[in-house]
Amino acid sequence: MSTHARPRPAVRRRPRASGLRPALAVALLAGLAACAPAGAEPAAPTTGEPVEGGTIVHAHVQEPPCLWGGWIQQAYLSRQVLDSLVSQDEDGEIVPWLATDWSVSEDQLVWTFTLAEGVEFTDGTPFDAQAVVDNFEFWITEQGNSTVLAYLGTYYESSRAVDPTTFELTLSRPYSSLLPALAQAYFGIQSPTALARGPEANCEEPIGTGPFTVEGWERGSVIRFARNPDYASAPANALHQGPAYVDGIEWRIVPDPVARFGALTTGEAHVVYDVPATQWTAAEQQYEVQQYITPGRPVALGLNTVAGPFTDVRVRKAFAAATDREAAVRSAFLGVVPFEGNGTVSASTPGYNAEVADDHPYDPDTAAALLDEAGWDSTDDEGYRVKDGERLEVRIVYGAGSIITPEGATVLQNLQEQVAEVGFQVTLVPATRDELFSGKFSGPESYDAKPGYWTSPTAGILHITFRQHLEESPNFSNSSFYNDPELEDLIVRANSSLDRAEQDRLYGEAQQILSDEAVSIGLYTQTTSLAVDPRLNDVWLEQSQGEPVYHDAWFER
Amino acid sequence: MSATAPTTTPVAPPTEALAVDASPANPWGRARLLVALRRVVGRVVAAVLVLLGAATVVFLAQTLLPGDRATLLLNLRSGEAVERTAAELAPINEQYGFDDPLAVQYATYVGGLLRGDLGVSYQRHAPVAEVIGGQLWPTAQLALGALAAAWVLALVSVVVTAGRRSRAVTAAGSGAEALAASVPHYWLGVILLVVLAVNLQWFPVMGGTSPAATVLPVLTLAVPLAGFLGQATRDEFDRVLEQPFVTSARARGMGDTGVRLRHVLRHAVLPAITLSGWALGALLSGAVIVESVFSRPGLGQVLVAAVDARDVPVVAGVVMFVAAVYVVANVLVDLAYTLVDPRRRS
Repeated sequence: MSTHARPRPAVRRRPRASGLRPALAVALLAGLAACAPAGAEPAAPTTGEPVEGGTIVHAHVQEPPCLWGGWIQQAYLSRQVLDSLVSQDEDGEIVPWLATDWSVSEDQLVWTFTLAEGVEFTDGTPFDAQAVVDNFEFWITEQGNSTVLAYLGTYYESSRAVDPTTFELTLSRPYSSLLPALAQAYFGIQSPTALARGPEANCEEPIGTGPFTVEGWERGSVIRFARNPDYASAPANALHQGPAYVDGIEWRIVPDPVARFGALTTGEAHVVYDVPATQWTAAEQQYEVQQYITPGRPVALGLNTVAGPFTDVRVRKAFAAATDREAAVRSAFLGVVPFEGNGTVSASTPGYNAEVADDHPYDPDTAAALLDEAGWDSTDDEGYRVKDGERLEVRIVYGAGSIITPEGATVLQNLQEQVAEVGFQVTLVPATRDELFSGKFSGPESYDAKPGYWTSPTAGILHITFRQHLEESPNFSNSSFYNDPELEDLIVRANSSLDRAEQDRLYGEAQQILSDEAVSIGLYTQTTSLAVDPRLNDVWLEQSQGEPVYHDAWFER
Repeated sequence: MSATAPTTTPVAPPTEALAVDASPANPWGRARLLVALRRVVGRVVAAVLVLLGAATVVFLAQTLLPGDRATLLLNLRSGEAVERTAAELAPINEQYGFDDPLAVQYATYVGGLLRGDLGVSYQRHAPVAEVIGGQLWPTAQLALGALAAAWVLALVSVVVTAGRRSRAVTAAGSGAEALAASVPHYWLGVILLVVLAVNLQWFPVMGGTSPAATVLPVLTLAVPLAGFLGQATRDEFDRVLEQPFVTSARARGMGDTGVRLRHVLRHAVLPAITLSGWALGALLSGAVIVESVFSRPGLGQVLVAAVDARDVPVVAGVVMFVAAVYVVANVLVDLAYTLVDPRRRS
C-alpha cells in the first residue's frame, strides 16, 4: 500500500445560484422564477442574524415503527430528541457532546468519560454517569438495540459510574472505532426513568436531553417535534449553543416521490428528504441541495465464495471484468449518484483505499480469458458458457425497495445485460422486505450474489462485514461467507490501533486483499439527499451517517 | 378498480322479510319472532365463522411462509438482513411464543380472539385494536366518501345519457363509464396530484385528513368505481326503459325526467346496490395505493407495514376488519333491496 487518499467529504453542499457573481445570479434567478412552478419564489438575500420562530416542515420518505432504534430511519428521528456522548465533525474528528472530555487507559481497555454537568432530560431526570450506565446496560445486556450490539457486542465488558460526572466503559479488547461509533444516533442517551416506562411508551416518545421533544405522532401522517426551551447541551460542532431557533418540526410522511418534491415546489414543505434523480437538476437550481455520501460499506455485490460458480476466484474476477459498472450506474442514476469501484469501503470513509477502486476495470476480453481458464470454455446454443454440461448461471437476490431502490434495480438489470455478452446467465430475484429480513435468503445455498450496504462512520465496518464466519463465533453479516484468518487479523489490528496512519495502512491492506480476491464488487455509494427551501438557513447533515440536524436552522424573515 | 373486480354483476339472493311483524295482535307473531330470531342468530354465527376463517387463513399464511419471524423482527429493528444466532433470537421467541408448536400458538391466538383480544403488534408494541382504531376514521372517510361520490357520478351519467335518441350522447356516456372503469388508481391519483395539487395548487399536496386534502383521494377512488356502477346501472336502465309500465307512465303524461327518476331508476339501481357491497370492501384495498400517493394515514398503510414485518396480529386484525365490512355491507345491501323494491317485502 502506498498512498491513502483523504476521505472525500461526506456532505456535498450545492448552494443555489446565489453563490455566483451577483449580476449573473440575479439573471439566473429571474429566469428560474419565470419557469418555476408558482410558489417557489426567488430567495431574498441572507440577512445574517438568526431569527427565532417558525416550524420546519420536513417531508420524509418512510415511517419507521418506532421513533428510535437500530435502523437509520429511526436514527434520523431520534437525532432530534436525543444527544449522544460525542459527535463527529466535518473533518472526521471526534468532538465533545454530552461527554466533555475522555481518555483511554494504556492497554486501551478502559475508557473514562467526563460528562457535562447540570444537564437534565426533558422529563426532569438528571443526566449523570448512572444514566449512561443504564443506557449501556439497556442496549447490550438487555439487547435493547441490536445495532449497538453489532458494534459493541464483541467488545463490551462492563460500564460503571465512578462519580456523577465520570463514566467508565471497560472493553474486552481494544477498539479504536469506539468514538466514531458512539457519535451515531443509535447511541443517543435516553432518560432512564423514561426507559423504565416499557417498550410501547419508548417507541412513541423517546425522551432525551436533545433540542426537541416529541409533541405528538399521528401515525401514517406526521410526527411533531417541539423545541426544548431549556436545551443547553449542543455538540461542540453545532453552530450555536442554547435552544433551537425554530419552534418545532413537522416531520411529514410522504412516500410518493412526485408528491414529496411537489410539497417543496408548492411551498408546503421546507425540506424534502431523498430528492428524486429525475428532479435533481430542477432541485439544484431552485433549492439548496445537500448530498450525503454514506461512509461504510458502499452498495456492493457480495459474491458467494462457498457455493456456486463464484467459489472460483477466476469466475469472480471474470464477472467483475465483464461489467461496465460505471456506465451502468451513470445511466440508472442519471449521473446523480457516484460510482464506487471499491467493493468494501466507500470513498467518504476514513481509511478508504482509493487504489483498489480501479482494480477491476471493464475488460470483456480478460473476462473471457478468465472463464476459459476456469474451465467454462464452451458455449451452448444460447451463447451462455458451459462447463461439464452445466450452464454458467448466477442468481442475484436483491431486497427490492428495502435495500435496493428502483434505480439500483436498473443498475442490476444493466449488469445482467453486460455479463450476458461474456456468457453469464444472470437471474435477478427480487426479494420482498419480509422474505429478505426473515432470513429466507441468508444461507449460502440461497444466492450466488447479493447486493448490500452498511452505513458506518469508520473503515472498522470491515470487522462487521468480513470478520470470519465460524461455528463458535458466527458472523452472518459476512454475506460472501469469505473466511480468511489473515484478513481478520489485519482488521482487528487496525481496530486496535490508536495511530491513525497505522489504522489507514492496515484497513487499506485489508481492502486490497478483498479486492484481489474479488469478494465484493463495488457498484455505487449509498447516498441520502436533502433539498432545502432557500429561506431556511443552516440546515446541516451530521457527519457519521447523514442525520439531518435542525437545532441551528432558522427562517429568514 | 382492483384486479379482483367481478366481471359479471353478482346479484345477492333477496332476503325474505327482515321487517318482522311481531305485534301481539297477530296470532302468528310468536312463531314469526322465533323464526326471525333464529335467522339473526344464524347470521351472527355465520359472520363469526367468516371472521375466524379470515383470521385462520392469515395466521397460517403468515406463519408458514419461509423464513423466521423472530429473525425478521430483530432484523427490522436493526435494518440488517442477516441470519441470527439462537442466543439472539431466544428473548424474542420467548416474548411472543414463537417456539411453541404451531397448534399452541394458534390456540392461544384464537383463544384471545374469542375473548375479544386481538393481540399486541410485534412492531409497535401497542394493542391491535388501538392500532386499527387509530387509523379507522381516515379510511372510513375515504371509502364512504368514494362510494357516495361514485354513486352521484354514475347516476348523473346514466340518467342524463342512457337511452337517448341521440346516439352520440349515449355513446359519450357509456364510453366515459368504460374509460373510468379501466383507469388504474395509481395513474389517476398521480395525474390528479400533479395537475390539481402541484401545478394549479387548488388542493394541498400533503394535507393529511383535512377536508381539502380528502377531495383528490376520494375522487381517485370514486372515478373507477363510478365507471363500474354506471355500466351496471346503464344496462338495466336501458332494459327498463322498454318496459310496458314506462310506456304507460308516459301515456299518463309524465315528463321524461320524471319517468327516468321515479320509475326507471328505481329498477335500474338494483345491480349497482349489489355491487356496492363488494365495492366497499374493494375500496379498502384501493386505499393502499391512494393513501401512499396522497400521504394519507389509514388502514392501507397499516396493512402494508404489517405485511412487510409479518406482524401477524395486525395483519389478521385488518383482514378481519375488512371481512366484517363485507359482512355488514351485504346485510345493508339486503336491506336496501327491500327498501327500493317493495315486491321483496312480502
